[in-house]
Amino acid sequence: MAWTWFHRLASPPHVYAFARRWTPWFGGVSAVAMCVALYGGLVLAPEDYQQKDAFRMVYVHAPTAWLSLMVYTTMAVAAAVGLIWRMKVAHAAAASCAPIGAWFTVAALGTGMLWGKPMWGAYWVWDPRLTAELVLLFLYFGYMGLRAGIEDPVKADKASAVLAVVGVINVPIIKFSVEWWNSLHQTPTVMQMGKPKMDFDMLWPLLLMFVAFALYFVTVMLIRLRAELLRRERNASWIREVLT
Amino acid sequence: MKATSLVAAGLVAVRDLRLAFRKPSQVIQPLMFFMIVATLFPLTLTPEMSRLRDAAPGVLWIGALLSSLLALEFLFRDDAVDGTLEQFALSGQSLTWMLFAKTCTHWLLTGLPLALSAPIAAAALGVPMEAMVGVVASLMLGSFAMSLVGAIGAGLTLGARRGGVLLSLLTLPLAVPILIFGARATQLAISGGDMAPPMYLLGAIAVLGVTLAPLAAAAAVRIGLE
Amino acid sequence: MNEFLDMGGYGKYVWPSFVLGFGIVVLNLVLALNSLARAKHEARRRLGVSQ
Repeated sequence: MAWTWFHRLASPPHVYAFARRWTPWFGGVSAVAMCVALYGGLVLAPEDYQQKDAFRMVYVHAPTAWLSLMVYTTMAVAAAVGLIWRMKVAHAAAASCAPIGAWFTVAALGTGMLWGKPMWGAYWVWDPRLTAELVLLFLYFGYMGLRAGIEDPVKADKASAVLAVVGVINVPIIKFSVEWWNSLHQTPTVMQMGKPKMDFDMLWPLLLMFVAFALYFVTVMLIRLRAELLRRERNASWIREVLT
Repeated sequence: MKATSLVAAGLVAVRDLRLAFRKPSQVIQPLMFFMIVATLFPLTLTPEMSRLRDAAPGVLWIGALLSSLLALEFLFRDDAVDGTLEQFALSGQSLTWMLFAKTCTHWLLTGLPLALSAPIAAAALGVPMEAMVGVVASLMLGSFAMSLVGAIGAGLTLGARRGGVLLSLLTLPLAVPILIFGARATQLAISGGDMAPPMYLLGAIAVLGVTLAPLAAAAAVRIGLE
Repeated sequence: MNEFLDMGGYGKYVWPSFVLGFGIVVLNLVLALNSLARAKHEARRRLGVSQ
């Protein structure tokens, strides 16, 4: 009984139906949460005593940066599940994660640069977090490149899954190496990013934004997953049923 | 079970060494490429030795990285084309050990000669003679780690079109830590500092690579053969 | 209102940052919906199903 959910997860028609049913709910809650968090962050939250109003960029930068990493982890877990249990749905899920993650890495880099200009005096400095984020973007490119480079979809699934797992082992090592490298060449920063304690008025919009972005990711991933399933299960009879 | 796997791995290594002696161009070409890249930097930066010396770690490591990427293309390709890898996979012996042997041999034939000839390029970049031992040691360890990481990429791109560019795209982000620690070790060797900390970290990556990379490479090669 | 838009002089960084971030949020949704619509269209044509 305990494992039925797992078997259902392996069945494309069931996953498709689940995704279709729940996408509007996830999307709706996410949209409302995003709007409330935006209002809270831009209007209600007091200005930071050090960074003044510039700190408000945290409400867009932190969730995108967090999502860029979380999507990669999700992708690697889905890929590993696909490899270990030979689950087609898991491979499809991993494939639908990649473009979302790459876009959020771009967003994190862009908003980080815009935050860096007033805080560090330059759009780009070789800050360990920005550098690691850039390498993460290259990892996404490698993953998508490998997927695009292999014609046989089954082989593409498995090969890219191995790469995702290798990549996720490498991410902490990259993070450590970049921090170590940066500690040797530290340039004096104009102002320290972040500070130990945050007012509750500042904190709740941020936490709500994290929740909103997580739900948003689930929404977009489920939409992409449906598209992947329709493409992969080319002649399955359930497709005829869901399309009529 | 382990004993026969090791014997098989040894035989693979001997075979690869023999093949390399019959076809030396695959060994010589990456080496020449490395030398040419190292020569191009003074032409583009400055002929001034003191400034070249500052750039030397970067030049040597980027040259070594590109050259080893070039060499990695040949790691599995020929054996995949003529069906040798398939025979390996079907032999009943551990594919992981055989690929580990292939990777080590590949490093002996490309990474090691590169590290040993690096002093020529380094001298041309104004690196003092006392630093050469450190330069060679760091490049030796780094190119070994690079071969291990690259073996995964080489295995994954077996089934892909335009494998060469893709191999670089996959491998370079994974090689970032090797590049950081390696270049730092070389830099400390040149400036006469204590190069032990980055060498330990480079060694840690190599050990991790030895334990995990052959497994991943074997999985990748199996996927490519299916 | 102007004061709000100015963000204490940081407006020229804050607003592009939000536009970029949430622009990508919208873009991802549009791209995903597009991909789903295309997949549905292709599947319908392949299976000869009409709406």
